Amino acid sequence: MPNEMISRIPPGSQDLLAGDVTRRRRVQAEWFRLAEERGYQEVIPPTFEYEEVFTLGAGPDLARQLVRFVDRDGCLVALRADFTSSIARVAATKLAAAPLPLRLCYAGKVYRQGRAGGIDRREVFQLGAELIGDESADADIELLRLMIDTLHALEILDFQVNLGEIQYIRPLLLSLEPSLAEAAREAIDRKDRATLRLLGSRPEVPGAVARALEELPELIGRGEVLERAAALALCDDATGAIDRLARIDESLTVTEREHIVYDLGEIRGLDYYTGIRFEVFIDGVGGSVGSGGRYDELLSLYGLDRPAVGFALETDALAELLVGEGP
Amino acid sequence: MRSALRIALPKGRMLEDALEIWARLGSGVAEGHANSRRLILPSADGRFEFLPVKSQDVPAYVEAGVADAGVVGYDVLYEQQPDVLQPLDLGFGVCRVVVAAPEGVLYPHLAGAVTPRVATKYVDTSRRFFASRGLQVDVLHIAGSVEIAPLLGLAHWILDLVETGRTLKENGLVVVDTVIESSARLIVNRASHKLRLEEHQRLIAELESIVAEPVAARTSARG
Repeated sequence: MPNEMISRIPPGSQDLLAGDVTRRRRVQAEWFRLAEERGYQEVIPPTFEYEEVFTLGAGPDLARQLVRFVDRDGCLVALRADFTSSIARVAATKLAAAPLPLRLCYAGKVYRQGRAGGIDRREVFQLGAELIGDESADADIELLRLMIDTLHALEILDFQVNLGEIQYIRPLLLSLEPSLAEAAREAIDRKDRATLRLLGSRPEVPGAVARALEELPELIGRGEVLERAAALALCDDATGAIDRLARIDESLTVTEREHIVYDLGEIRGLDYYTGIRFEVFIDGVGGSVGSGGRYDELLSLYGLDRPAVGFALETDALAELLVGEGP
Repeated sequence: MRSALRIALPKGRMLEDALEIWARLGSGVAEGHANSRRLILPSADGRFEFLPVKSQDVPAYVEAGVADAGVVGYDVLYEQQPDVLQPLDLGFGVCRVVVAAPEGVLYPHLAGAVTPRVATKYVDTSRRFFASRGLQVDVLHIAGSVEIAPLLGLAHWILDLVETGRTLKENGLVVVDTVIESSARLIVNRASHKLRLEEHQRLIAELESIVAEPVAARTSARG
């Protein structure tokens, strides 16, 4: 019998061979062809970075999933868990003087670990793009379109893109005192209306906030949801967020709009998002196959204040959908 | 796409209560399948299919999307912390997770400086609970019949689910602390909720209206 430690690989890692490799290469080739055609330049950030690069902006959820080790000088280093954080660091430092906007793209592995005993892969391929230095809704549309066209180029036609807006929810949470806001955040995340109703019935919560809290889990659907959401908006920021989504909706083509579902009750994801949020879902895949959004405050954490928007797609999940193509 | 929404249900006591609620939606188990040993049971109206699995496995099926939704006790969700939606408390399967000790055994501190040993099938719950109380304990994972552990000298205390308290009493144990109150919850896969929104919204609304009825009306309907 061969040495067990040599013949096996750690849980969550995998060997890719033959068709699995070909399919990933095809996804990446289509991606770079499209991204370069639209003026995006590839960046290859390091495989490991000081852990602060990832803990600074992405929040405690990602921090818990880092694969860390101690470097020769005693500093804590983490394997790349998020391309956006690495690229934000590069853009805010080495590319600080470059003309704006910056169009950057990438494809490679990220390393994250979930609970022990789970089925989570600890290394997955992602691809994605970042548009830095343009705060307009046109930039949001450019990225959204690039993401949709990538899926179309791979002949993946049956998918759904959920669009949310952090600026719609944030004022609601900020109007509550911190412990209440945390309870509300958790209930919104679980779509637990009974708890939201209970929180809304507290005497210190204004009626308009209570109504909006209770309706949040139901603010999902096609364009008409934007009207309902606008009616519940509590402040200019929330109204502005809905106006911006409506403007994006108007700019989409009929084909693009067929993929879009407005989803204003979604608050998951990395903490650095400040505006629009995208999440991509495909029938038969148990989780999202891509996500992204606007992160106007992330670069300032690395020393340079720049608006930015980006997305990442799960290369492995997309490759597995190409299974018609050989072994 | 599967045409029916697949619902993972916990085998055992809660299965009957859950199926009864679905029966009240007009979606009971299809005729001839009620006592079948098939893996997946279709509903009479074709809207759902039921997947009876071990209670502890319900979250895994739903989180992975193998089932679109599921019913499971809050005790299991609290222990496993799965990444799923939890839109509704279904109100049945009410019980408590408690710490129990043999009569006469001290809590929360044992005599001397002995580190208490706690037998449980809720390992993470135990770690979090005793940490929140500022107590240092050794947690011992036991898969079944936790209540005999103190009797045999395996542990000082247990952390377990109680419904009536009879099993505890029979083994000479008394409840010394309450960890959580539990009841059956509806859980939903996040991606499925987005992709089959109308079906999930309809199911949640229907279940909500049944759960809101007074319990007496529900039991009398049981006939």
